[in-house]
Amino acid sequence: MKNSDVIIQTATKVVFFIIFLFAIHIFFAGHYTPGGGFVGGLLTASALVLLLLAFDIRTVSKALPFNYTVIIGIGLILALGTASASILFDVPFFTHAYDYFDLPLFGKTSLHSAMLFDLGVYLVVVGATMNIILSIGSDD
Amino acid sequence: MAFQILLNFILAFTWMFILNSFSASTFIIGWLLGLLLILMMRRFFPGPIYVKRIWAILKLVLLFFKELWMANIQVFMLVIKPKLDIQPAIFRYPTKLKSDWEITLLSALITLTPGTIVMNVSEDKKMLYIHTLHIDDVDEAVKSIRDSFEKAIMEVSQP
Repeated sequence: MKNSDVIIQTATKVVFFIIFLFAIHIFFAGHYTPGGGFVGGLLTASALVLLLLAFDIRTVSKALPFNYTVIIGIGLILALGTASASILFDVPFFTHAYDYFDLPLFGKTSLHSAMLFDLGVYLVVVGATMNIILSIGSDD
Repeated sequence: MAFQILLNFILAFTWMFILNSFSASTFIIGWLLGLLLILMMRRFFPGPIYVKRIWAILKLVLLFFKELWMANIQVFMLVIKPKLDIQPAIFRYPTKLKSDWEITLLSALITLTPGTIVMNVSEDKKMLYIHTLHIDDVDEAVKSIRDSFEKAIMEVSQP
């Protein structure tokens, strides 16, 4: 008797969006409240792993055609670039700059270059986690 | 259904633009007025009015809470009995529901009411395999699920 995965697939199609939105929220919340690049990256990876559990690897890699090794590289370049941009302004390595801006919709927001560094961390975590899981999980 | 909700939304926005006041209270008043207009014009829409479906969803939620209470009390009675005279069984339940989300919702409702667990869905999505804690009569169990949950879900999906 063959069984169908209809329950987990339908539930995944709903839950995936909730996990991903929460991951984005956690990523942006890292400055004043708990959260940040590492936790956000792990949550994003967990949403992708849920997709992998419900569907098979081929379907997921067709839907999200990312090369996760390249994503690790982009993340490292972002983090190092943010750190070394301080040399251009004649301040010590890793000095962060921040300022307040009046953005539409957001109002008065403080933008900080540490967020770019965090984005680098985020991309590295997502890429590394997915790389590990995909290399263990795939047959070839 | 979705078109009616969208139309109601647009009517509420139109009301906000007419009054030139963009607040939540104006939006809600506009929504209610738009609902009244849609009710007046309901002969011209294909399909039933969307309020019916929302009412069916509310009924489903209330039915679920009622079943949850009743079934929990039944299981509690089974647990505190000194003598264990339960009759566990796995039975097949032929479902009439078609789409994926309906089957998922039915399975979730059956699983969340204690005493019954959906173990498996067959390949053609026509059979649910249900494990039950105590059963007297299979046909009666099938009938009770059919009359409660499946009927309520059918009312939501095709009112």
